Amino acid sequence: VTHPEIWMLAAAAMFGIGLYSLVIARHLLRQLIAVKVMGSAVFLILVVAAGPIDGALDGIPLALVLTGIVVAVSAIAFALTLLVRLAEVTGSVSLDDDEAGDAH
Amino acid sequence: VTLAIDLLLAIGLVVLAWQSLAGRSQFRGIVMFIVFGFALAITWARLGSPDLAMAEAAIGAGVTGALIMIAYWRLRRFSLAEPEDPSPRRSRFALVIALLSTVVVAGIGLAAVQAVGEGGAAGRALAEALPETGLGNPITAVLVVFRNLDTLLELAVLLAAWVASRAAMAEGQAALALPEHQDSPLVRALVTTLVPLIVLVSIYLLKAGGQLPGGAFQAGATLAACGVLLMLAGQVGPAASASSWLRVVLVAGILAFAGVGLGMLALGAPLLALPGLWSVYLIETAMMVSIAATLVLLFAGAAGLERGVRP
Repeated sequence: VTHPEIWMLAAAAMFGIGLYSLVIARHLLRQLIAVKVMGSAVFLILVVAAGPIDGALDGIPLALVLTGIVVAVSAIAFALTLLVRLAEVTGSVSLDDDEAGDAH
Repeated sequence: VTLAIDLLLAIGLVVLAWQSLAGRSQFRGIVMFIVFGFALAITWARLGSPDLAMAEAAIGAGVTGALIMIAYWRLRRFSLAEPEDPSPRRSRFALVIALLSTVVVAGIGLAAVQAVGEGGAAGRALAEALPETGLGNPITAVLVVFRNLDTLLELAVLLAAWVASRAAMAEGQAALALPEHQDSPLVRALVTTLVPLIVLVSIYLLKAGGQLPGGAFQAGATLAACGVLLMLAGQVGPAASASSWLRVVLVAGILAFAGVGLGMLALGAPLLALPGLWSVYLIETAMMVSIAATLVLLFAGAAGLERGVRP
């Protein structure tokens, strides 16, 4: 890793963007993407923070992140099924109770 | 020059993250998110981990992108995925929270960079113990040999996601909707060319995974892409229930893993100790087909798969 500080700042910005969208978005699909972006930022921090061993990356966080990527896709697949079912049953794609969520 | 490349990639990542979430058009956001996944894959390669790069491209961008796209298409059918996002919530605190969290995360990250110049003790132990396993790829060694209970449970998580998705569907509902396939000679020709190549690539990734970058997860996701392609081309369709061979394929990874692990326990070795390199490849092969089958079923939103052209 040549410039760890750059990656840390980028990951922090990604995390902030994800969190901001998670808070302000109404559509659940967009909120899910926001969570994915936040997760990717955490993966980036995990790998960069570990530091190299004899020039190569530390294998432990890499294996951890690989596991994380697969668990993340499992979680999002289930979440998307729930979202489609929520839309089928309630006709809404938002968890808001106010008028904007039910307008459609 | 290295600084310029790093800066370019890092800024690209942040801009793509913003593009995938901030735009009005939801479709555009999804496309940008997939591009974001590929930029992240390039970042992993740049950081020196081709394993993660392949996993991110195949799973993070490819499979996740396909899952989000098909969910978007399904929502469109109830005209619920507006091309335009409904007006965002107005929150006075959102920006403050986001900025604060960015500063905190940046602080943690930069502190970690300062504190840990060199890798941790576990990473060193891994590098020392790697030759004993006969594997050349440290990530495969961690996943299948040193921390294999985690990987076994990870397979269970993937399977659980499919079981839970099935449970979330209405009773008697065989499958979620899929786009009608358009019978085109071009698509058929493309599929007959691509499918054998994809299968070849995934088998290579599996075999190479022991010594070189690759492994069961990358291979499984690549194979799943093949299944998705066949499904979109109408060669494979959703079925109301899983055939018995499909059930075996779904649990093959867990069965092979647990079978070898318990067998060694019966022989007096510790639980999940592996007898040799052959067992690593056996388990990885079983994992690959299970991962691929589960991901295809999650994409289909179906109980099972059947051959034949869909109506």
